[in-house]
Amino acid sequence: MKFTIFQESRIGRRKTNQDRLAHCYSRNALLMVLADGMGGHLHGEIAAHIAVQYMTNAFQREARPMLLDPSMFLSRELSQAHGAILDYALEKGLREAPRTTMVACVIQEGNAYWAHAGDSRLYLLRGGRVHLQTRDHSRVQLMMDQGLLDVRSAATHPDRNRVYSCLGGTHLPQIEFSHRTPLKVGDIIALCTDGVWGPMGGEGILRGLTAGGNPAITVPRLLSEAESAAGASCDNLSMIALDWHEDSGDIIPDAVSTQTMALSDFTTRMDSFQDMRPPANDMDLSDDEIETAIQEINAAIQKYSK
Amino acid sequence: MPSQVNCALPAGFLLDRYRIERQLSLGGFSIVYLAYDADGTPVAIKEYLPNSLALRKEGEIEPQVPDDNLPAFRYGMKCFFEEGRALARLLHPNVVRVLNFFRANGTVYMVMQFERGRTLHDYIQRHRGQVAERFIRNVFIRMLNGLREVHAHKLLHLDIKPSNIYLRADGTPVLLDFGAARQTLAQGQPMLKPMYTPGFASPEHYANRETLGPWSDIYSVGASMHACVVGTAPPRSDERTKEDTFTPLSKASNGNDGKYSVRLLELIDWCLLLDPLQRPQSVYTLQKELSQKPRRASAPPQSRFGDFLSRLKSTIGRS
Repeated sequence: MKFTIFQESRIGRRKTNQDRLAHCYSRNALLMVLADGMGGHLHGEIAAHIAVQYMTNAFQREARPMLLDPSMFLSRELSQAHGAILDYALEKGLREAPRTTMVACVIQEGNAYWAHAGDSRLYLLRGGRVHLQTRDHSRVQLMMDQGLLDVRSAATHPDRNRVYSCLGGTHLPQIEFSHRTPLKVGDIIALCTDGVWGPMGGEGILRGLTAGGNPAITVPRLLSEAESAAGASCDNLSMIALDWHEDSGDIIPDAVSTQTMALSDFTTRMDSFQDMRPPANDMDLSDDEIETAIQEINAAIQKYSK
Repeated sequence: MPSQVNCALPAGFLLDRYRIERQLSLGGFSIVYLAYDADGTPVAIKEYLPNSLALRKEGEIEPQVPDDNLPAFRYGMKCFFEEGRALARLLHPNVVRVLNFFRANGTVYMVMQFERGRTLHDYIQRHRGQVAERFIRNVFIRMLNGLREVHAHKLLHLDIKPSNIYLRADGTPVLLDFGAARQTLAQGQPMLKPMYTPGFASPEHYANRETLGPWSDIYSVGASMHACVVGTAPPRSDERTKEDTFTPLSKASNGNDGKYSVRLLELIDWCLLLDPLQRPQSVYTLQKELSQKPRRASAPPQSRFGDFLSRLKSTIGRS
């Protein structure tokens, strides 16, 4: 796999940042996950944190180096993440389980699969257009579907932040799944919270991410634009964007190629854990891992010498 | 731990299914041996043995790794594996071939095809000042085929120098010794800081490691060609960034008696620019330049910048 990826989260004008996001990849699979803890509820950021951490851990447990079934993975683990939030609430004796939106995307074997609950979005940009996007689980989206609202009035509707599906809380989440979507070289996948799509809209995100430069340049620029557009009431803003490259293409600065990663290796980036020390297993290499690495290299030698 | 010299395994030692003949080279991270397999085929075996972390004393087989160094030793091993994985996929006549990988004596070993011949370094020593332009062009065009393959696998060599370019008996070059300076080694691992051969490493090898790229290997290629022409490497690049004492070859006042074309000298100068962005950005660019018919040193000197622009234009125009 070859791609360029970047993620950033900003607090906006709020007191706390309740957005959490992470991406994680092995040699053959990649996970992007983003959650927006719900501010009206207690401990929104805890729900977002648990959900993102749960998904990342599950991915590292199962993508060795590939998931057996990405759709099943998303289905099972999103429900389990919901369960993990409820467990936390029980354990801490919280009166109400905290809630969070979630959007998660897995890429493997050149296909993308995603799932979401709530109003954090995924956009797939292709050929200079928004090719696919998730549909918010929100009241205003329902009203728009019924022809009761147009895009413009939805943007200012007083209930625009109300979602009817999320992880945590009292109801079971309604999780929506994508089809298996084959990626094309040049595709951009962006996951973002309403703090970004709210002020920018799909068109603004498309413009921002295709304006030239890799995600490490376009994402911060887009967030700054969203921040100034939102003004004094700016929500938390978070985005993960990925440019999909040709496997055998030219060297692209900052692009990640996973082909020399060990089969059991993971690279993980989770912003909210920045102050934590890198996990000890970054340095450690068990005897089993050494054996596996050697077997794997010899297998490659055999394979490529034919 | 103070720097130390590790002892090599003794001649005749039976290592896995190979018999050690002798030590070929000793680096900061490894020892390379000539050995024979059961069929009597010679192989080169590289032993992972970072000087700063592990010590093999005289007469011992298993190196000692102090507990404090164990994490770093294992981390370096990971990098050694990365090199193995990368090389295992590289099947190219101008890149050394990996044959096997195994574990013994508390460390790991990479078995490579043994190439007969000598290094470009030896060749330069023997033909000091007499290395023909045609020879330089031929060797480097082919060596660059191998380097292109390396870069296509998203790998940087980072230690290109005449002693890592092997010339087979038929004159074809082979690129050796990967991973002596793998990019991953330096990050946050002070004990594994790579050692470079002064003169052949680019400025970004020493600082700004995040800007390392194909252009860094290209600097080293330029320095290696410089060594062919002059007999020695250019001044160290980390010194050059402080005070640049390097006189571009195409501007050297003593001239080269028309032995080398201006075009070749300018190309070497181009590779040796301190600003990575000003150098040829890809191996392919360099190969195209090298495959141009040389013209003799009679062309009127152009301003360096103007010349660079015109070359840039012609490069863009061609691609």
